[in-house]
Amino acid sequence: MASDFAAASLRRRAPGQMRALLWSRVTVSLVFAAVLVFTIAILIPLAWTVQMSFKTTREILIDPYAMPSQLRLSNYAGLFLNPSVEIQTYFLNSVMVTGGALLISLLLSTMGGYVFGRMRFEFRGRKVFFYVLLFAVMLPPQIYYIPQYQMMAAMGLNNSQWSLILLYAAHSLPVSVYLMSTYFSQLPGELEDAAIIDGCNDWELFWQVMLPLARPAMTTIIILNALYFWNELLLAITVITDPSKRTLPAAIFNFIGELGSNFGGAAASLVVSMLPILVLYLFLSRRLIQGLTAGAVKG
Amino acid sequence: MSDLSANAPKKAMPRHRAGRASPLWIAAFLVPVFGYYLTFTVYPLAMTFFNTLFKSTPEGGQLITRFVGFGNYQRLFSDGIFLGNAVPNTLIWGLVGTVIDVVTAVLLALLIYFRLPLHNIFRVLWFTPVLLSGVIVGVVFRWVFNFDWGLLNACLRAVHLDMLAVDWLGRVDTPLMAVIAVHWWHSFGYSFVIVLAGLSAIPRELLEAAYIDGCTRRDAVFAIILPLLRPTLITVIVLSFIGKMRAFDVVWALTRGGPAHHSETVATYLQKRAFDPLLSGLDLGYPSTIAVVWFGVVVAGVLIFNYRASRAGMT
Repeated sequence: MASDFAAASLRRRAPGQMRALLWSRVTVSLVFAAVLVFTIAILIPLAWTVQMSFKTTREILIDPYAMPSQLRLSNYAGLFLNPSVEIQTYFLNSVMVTGGALLISLLLSTMGGYVFGRMRFEFRGRKVFFYVLLFAVMLPPQIYYIPQYQMMAAMGLNNSQWSLILLYAAHSLPVSVYLMSTYFSQLPGELEDAAIIDGCNDWELFWQVMLPLARPAMTTIIILNALYFWNELLLAITVITDPSKRTLPAAIFNFIGELGSNFGGAAASLVVSMLPILVLYLFLSRRLIQGLTAGAVKG
Repeated sequence: MSDLSANAPKKAMPRHRAGRASPLWIAAFLVPVFGYYLTFTVYPLAMTFFNTLFKSTPEGGQLITRFVGFGNYQRLFSDGIFLGNAVPNTLIWGLVGTVIDVVTAVLLALLIYFRLPLHNIFRVLWFTPVLLSGVIVGVVFRWVFNFDWGLLNACLRAVHLDMLAVDWLGRVDTPLMAVIAVHWWHSFGYSFVIVLAGLSAIPRELLEAAYIDGCTRRDAVFAIILPLLRPTLITVIVLSFIGKMRAFDVVWALTRGGPAHHSETVATYLQKRAFDPLLSGLDLGYPSTIAVVWFGVVVAGVLIFNYRASRAGMT
């Protein structure tokens, strides 16, 4: 044993290997410095925006880069109190749309994922159904959003939050079903056997046994979809034209026009709308990264 | 997404004692999902194709819709903005942007993979822009590119490169570059994380064995890591390219395709043709034609690329 260990440690210290495994201190410092500069350059626009949000427009125009002389909250107060802005309306609209669409997409994607993931639900042609559903994963929204708009107009739902809820859920459905089905297919079949012997029917089996077990996958879907729903612009400005029904991104897009040269107020509105996500990211960075990449790397 | 097929439901081996669910239960689960999908995705998709055959014109306060056959398609091929601005811009962006995206993603992911100091912090910071709404990104960078007091020109002037400080979003030649750069800023973290996930799937033992055989780090990257990363790279290329084809919010908030269509992409042109009161004229047949021709070509091209690239890797 001892000699084996000695041989291994000798091999580990072979000169070529040392060169390969360790960067020299100089290289590491240079690379690290370059990466640091890169990272700061990437984040400076955001820091600048936050800094601007605490300054009056006059201060910004005198020197856009000076630190605020005092921590002014007047820009933020204006967003909530100014009757021509009232950002809380749009914030609530976004919460309602995101929440509603999440409920529908969770319900449908767990049901769909269950059918495509469990052997109990195997039937002839299931694969064909699965591929038909997956086909839409590749499609850009542009290829069907005009008729979706027409549909909503025909149902009288344009300018109602229901249109966004229904359409967002539809857009997220293929990826969500796909993710749920891969998760469900990994759960052991013995669970089903046991539950059925205990007298569960299929709905109870799904609702009381399998769904609680699928919580991690559901979290992934919630993260993935919530971010998409919260940030979406294309449908939000197409389907909804009534100013009071706008979601946050659509409203911000309009503020910037209306607020004109009120840069402080505009910067504050950007901070308010990115704050919820950044706070979430602060606590859940690993989960968020996993959730957002699950659709691409799962498999 | 290149490996979707790997997760298709396997052929059933009825090995559970409890057996299959009854067809009624299967239908109870499947019908709501497929009904929803058919109603809100497949039907609109079909309608897009159907719409291309019609043209609506307002006449006497009413919208009259007429069958025009392939007239919209003919019109598309003599549309100067579509052929002269939107398509070239989108193609340049799709090619240049994807290359930049993939190169930076691989470079950054390798740095993290080889455990650069503070790599966990860098990883989290680089991913932050991905979380932001494209509207926010577009507006922030409208300020960054501002001629008088924008961050970019302030930096250039600070190092006495005043002649390079131009009106980035107001000229003929720079807005497309700005769009490419800003969208890269918004999305490189996503490609980076996917490459990193691909890297972490490579067994470390393989690298250790190579090092013992005297392989240098550079050799290891080019001879072992990149070849093994091939499926991930195909995925990243496809996702990055499609991301640029569908991207709308960043461009819309940054330049709106302007000035004078110089940063127009197909997505923004489509939106203007369909819903901008100045350009659309309430006709949805022509924009549908744009969607079918362009996005049909893009999706078909991506599917072919994906198929051939993953086939070539197997032999």
